[in-house]
Amino acid sequence: MKCAVLVCSGLDKPLGSLAREVAVCAAEQAECEIVCPVLLNNSPGRYEATLKELPLAVVDGCGTRCATKLATQMGLKIGRRMLLPEAIKELGETFEDSLRPGPEARALALKLALQLTADEAEEEAAETEAVTFPEPADFLKVTHDKFVFPIPVEGYFFNENDCWVQVVGGRARVGITDYMQQTLTDITYFAPPEVGREVEQFDDLGAVESAKAVFDVISPVGGKIVAVNAALEDTPELINEGPYTGGWLVELELTDFEADRELLLTGEQYAVKVKQKAEEASA
Amino acid sequence: MSDATFMGVSREKIDWAPTIDYSKCDFCMECDDFCPHKVFERREGEVKLVVANPKNCVVFCRACAKTCGPDALTFPSKPETIAAIKQIRAKEGEAE
Ligand code: SF4
Ligand code: SF4
Repeated sequence: MKCAVLVCSGLDKPLGSLAREVAVCAAEQAECEIVCPVLLNNSPGRYEATLKELPLAVVDGCGTRCATKLATQMGLKIGRRMLLPEAIKELGETFEDSLRPGPEARALALKLALQLTADEAEEEAAETEAVTFPEPADFLKVTHDKFVFPIPVEGYFFNENDCWVQVVGGRARVGITDYMQQTLTDITYFAPPEVGREVEQFDDLGAVESAKAVFDVISPVGGKIVAVNAALEDTPELINEGPYTGGWLVELELTDFEADRELLLTGEQYAVKVKQKAEEASA
Repeated sequence: MSDATFMGVSREKIDWAPTIDYSKCDFCMECDDFCPHKVFERREGEVKLVVANPKNCVVFCRACAKTCGPDALTFPSKPETIAAIKQIRAKEGEAE
């Protein structure tokens, strides 16, 4: 896939050099356009045409996520994202720490670039019937200072990691709570987990990112991931707008909800937790 | 933070925090920059970073490990932690 690639290219960090190498490979292999972070920062106009035409792929060398932050500051829409330590781990590779990429690092950069620019795999249409998840009817409202944190009651359960689950039959939808959404502020990206993967309760289900922080989504239930919310790719702000409805993240086929329930909270119990958390956060 | 609980169990009783493998760690401080919960603390001297406040770590969070290039952060086993929490809950349930 042809795209515009923005990489951190952190000059004083080996992974920054690797990121730069990934951009070069992506340009060579997939005719991607390289976007220089320094120039973008100083004269954004230079890339206006490119960024209008091509989807943006962002590569960060480390968790400081400079490239992502820059893209967010510039109001750019991020089409794809790669965090190098994570991507390297996923490939089962290692990285030799050097500011000057050697042959091995260059081979690794090529692999990463191919992954970054790979055409989207045809969405594995899950062979399960669609389930309708009803909109929550009643909300408990926790207030703290000028903040209000709504919490749905009927049909929703929570874990203490600020994620909710809505269960209909053997299916479940998972998302982050309104409290977490407000804590993160404007959400810029949802890094979805892989459809088809089996997860256990408290495994991670991707991550939600804002300019302020990265939040690991911790699954309230165990099961098989059957769908991720595709709408979030273009409009991650749905998570801010409707964390319990349009901003859902992942759908799973449940393994054993009765067992999972033992470690979940009801809306009423979660409300008590939110009150505590909000008080602690402002203390 | 002393009265903090997780799933009704006192946080003090739950063993969940990162461990730094100092044979791998290069003290890049990415994890410390990342984590908002003041789990890590910087030190002068040879060992420049320590897990100073393990009980601040959010149970089942492992987010900082993703920021660690050399893969120097490890966590306790999740199933074992879950089992331990369930056990404590069962015991305290009986006691009540
Ligand atoms: S696991 Fe999460 S809470 Fe614990 S130290 Fe790492 S980032 Fe902080
Ligand atoms: S991110 Fe990893 S290498 Fe860097 S200071 Fe933390 S533990 Fe050490």
